[in-house]
Amino acid sequence: MKTVKILGSGCANCRKLEAVAREAASSAGIAAEFLKITDMDAILAYDLMSTPGLVIDEKLVSSGRIPTQAEVRQWLAA
Amino acid sequence: MNAFLRLIEGGAGNLAAYLAAHVLLCLLPAFFIAGAMAALIPKASITRWLGRSAPYHVSYPAAAAAGSLLAVCSCTIVPLFAGIYKKGAGLGPAITFLFFAPAGNVMALAYTGSILGAEFAFARFVLSLLFGIGIGLLMALIFWRDDARHDALTDTAFAERARIGGAALGLLLSLVAVLIAGTLKLSLLNAYVVSVTLPLPGAEAWQATLLRWVPFDAAKGEEGVSVQGSLLIVLLLAIALTAWKGLENIVEGANRWTWLTLGLAAATLLVAAMRLTPSAGGLDVAFTGRVLAVGAALWAVLHHARRLDADAWRAWLWESWRFVKQIFVLLVVGVFVVGMVRQLIQPEWIQNLAGRNDLMANAVAVVFGVFMYFPTLVEVPVARMFLDLGMHPGPLLAYLMADPELSLQSILMVAAVIGRPKTAAYVGLVAIFSVVAGLLYGAWVDGVNAGWVAAGLLAFLGALAALMAWMMARRRRPAPTQV
Repeated sequence: MKTVKILGSGCANCRKLEAVAREAASSAGIAAEFLKITDMDAILAYDLMSTPGLVIDEKLVSSGRIPTQAEVRQWLAA
Repeated sequence: MNAFLRLIEGGAGNLAAYLAAHVLLCLLPAFFIAGAMAALIPKASITRWLGRSAPYHVSYPAAAAAGSLLAVCSCTIVPLFAGIYKKGAGLGPAITFLFFAPAGNVMALAYTGSILGAEFAFARFVLSLLFGIGIGLLMALIFWRDDARHDALTDTAFAERARIGGAALGLLLSLVAVLIAGTLKLSLLNAYVVSVTLPLPGAEAWQATLLRWVPFDAAKGEEGVSVQGSLLIVLLLAIALTAWKGLENIVEGANRWTWLTLGLAAATLLVAAMRLTPSAGGLDVAFTGRVLAVGAALWAVLHHARRLDADAWRAWLWESWRFVKQIFVLLVVGVFVVGMVRQLIQPEWIQNLAGRNDLMANAVAVVFGVFMYFPTLVEVPVARMFLDLGMHPGPLLAYLMADPELSLQSILMVAAVIGRPKTAAYVGLVAIFSVVAGLLYGAWVDGVNAGWVAAGLLAFLGALAALMAWMMARRRRPAPTQV
């Protein structure tokens, strides 16, 4: 069971990122729990300068952009 | 009922005129530029200058540059603001960044320039830059103890370095060239190269129909829709329709709709650069120097875009499309509402309140800016309405400085990050600085000797510097024991 956190204040890119990550998880058949982090202090606990950020099992894997489904599948499998 | 119809008509007319005339030449390239900035400029290329150890003369200009280049959307503004404040150069540069971002980004500049004039955009840019740095310095001095407390922490987030790639830089520059070629008022660009007449007998009748649909009163600053304008509106709608299919899933790769959308966007820019005039025999199409310039710049864009790797250009198109979705709809609604409201406001009210450039008028403009909240960029058509109704350019600039910086939303956001006392100080400083900016710009527009205006600006900055020097001196005294 992976824990996936979406960091962002609810902007368009954060919603897009969540959609991409959910599709990636279901297409790869990986069970994952999705959490949306909107509190700025909690977001800044990770080293990022722009949202959306993607955190998989407490590791920041991307920030400031929307990764492709293929990328997210790789991170989930790692 | 009649009054209601008049309101709707005013809104529709305003919207049609904006879509047909102003928005295209500046906003279409501006969306692509903003997208390129968001996707292709690595944040670290600027944030590396915003670390805790950066000296004043580096961190403040870097904060302004970040406001201008990185902060095209709120997804960047909030985290970057909080990051600079909590982990980086501190409160002062964070405030400079926050203040400069709404006025210094490419969309605001392009839009202000095309609707209110280049002079206005220039004044807004320069005064926001100077005063943004001034407010930042003042805040840093007032609350210096707070920064001293942060100094103990590390700033690894700002250690990363990056450079913008050659292809990305080329793309950005050629997009700026498209913007400039499309909007610059130069006789060379307006000169006819070749002119042909298309045998379209309906063109004149169509123009007459358009004038009947969108009646306008030039005296009130209203504008009608030309044949060319109607063609541009059709092209815009076509772009909107194809973009849903072509750009919504661009992150996963391009499809046929993508190329159609991009082709239509290029065609729109080229058509906007031509001059179409209905005549007795048909439609006169004049190819101006502008068409050649826009065409050459578009070719350069294509050339550089092909050198980008797939991830980069997809991210670029996605960010551009996201800006369109985020801003364009609000702008369309905003322009419509402005057109309706204009029917209700008597020019005398505005002229009595803010027709002159005095302290009172500037203060009223700033208070209005603080209490009114308009979505991104809608402040510009609102400002245009006030200008047409007789507001003095000075108070208008004061309003433009205060409105985007001090919307209720941004005040709440700032309060959440830096706390209420600092937010109150920030709001107060912005209000004072905006009034001063309005007074100075108004004096300059009124034809007061440029030397006097410069002297006024210098006197204000000098008073500020003296105040800061005094506070610096106080700061060097031994700090109270509780710190």
